[in-house]
Amino acid sequence: MHFIFSDEVVLLFDFWSVHSPTGMALSVLVILLLAVLYESIKVGKARLLHQALMNLSIPTSQQLIEEADQDSSSSDSLPVSRSPLRWFLCHFGQTLLHVAQVVVGYFMMLAVMSYNTWIFFGVVLGSGVGYYLAYPLLSMT
Amino acid sequence: MGMNMDMSGGDNSTMPPHHHPTTSSDHSHDHMMMMMPMTFYFGFKDVELLFSGLVINTAGEMAGAFVAVFLLAMFYEGLKIAREGLLRKSQVSIRYNSMPVPGPNGTILMETHKTVGQQMLSFPHLLQTVLHIIQVVISYFLMLIFMTYNGYLCIAVAAGAGTGYFLFSWKKAVVVDITEHCH
Repeated sequence: MHFIFSDEVVLLFDFWSVHSPTGMALSVLVILLLAVLYESIKVGKARLLHQALMNLSIPTSQQLIEEADQDSSSSDSLPVSRSPLRWFLCHFGQTLLHVAQVVVGYFMMLAVMSYNTWIFFGVVLGSGVGYYLAYPLLSMT
Repeated sequence: MGMNMDMSGGDNSTMPPHHHPTTSSDHSHDHMMMMMPMTFYFGFKDVELLFSGLVINTAGEMAGAFVAVFLLAMFYEGLKIAREGLLRKSQVSIRYNSMPVPGPNGTILMETHKTVGQQMLSFPHLLQTVLHIIQVVISYFLMLIFMTYNGYLCIAVAAGAGTGYFLFSWKKAVVVDITEHCH
């Protein structure tokens, strides 16, 4: 088994069979968007975690840095949950994102397993573009 | 997946005509391409799972395999969270290094560096290493299971990962930032 340059591939599902250069270009674009989606899901999960911790009123490291100058006398060791329902929804949302991340990650692995070089380039480029676009959003509040 | 020339093994992708009418043109390719299915399918006949003796032939065996894969994926998520917790608890060895540095106006200031780490031969690090090996092996097993392209098993992996994340990350979301307030 080795990487080949080819315009013919069957990707993941029976109906996704590619025979022509235009079909291959379109498939590479779809795989690229899939990789961008994967990176965005990772960032989305981290942001939901941040929100869940804020709902639990546990000071996150960012808030502690902001509070460093002020006299924070309300820092207990026990979390006071402001809204259990909102925290639960955040956690459930994180779980759904996690399942989506696992599935998309495995789909990308199976796409690379087709040993088609164009598809592989699509995955790599998509990961790069996705990282470039999504990670700055991580530190946005 | 051995190189046995038994065409019935794993050949669900081309033999049943109602499954894959589009791949009928693949008969001209060499037989090696048809050993492993390359597209998703739902079936429980002749499904080879990881090891040579482990072949699923009936619906009951597929149900058992579904449960086993589900639990394996759940265990994997739990192992990840457990390793994080163990790492945090064992990082108690803090070394402070103070060095004099020149400050403004020619005064000498003491700069303190804090390093947090483990010793190589300490028990926590050895335990982390053993757990890491187990985690790597399980993650590759899950990848290989997903690579069977069997729809039921893939759903089991995804559902197990989701359930495991839901159950174990619950604890993580409550505990994580209480201790990590210095970073």
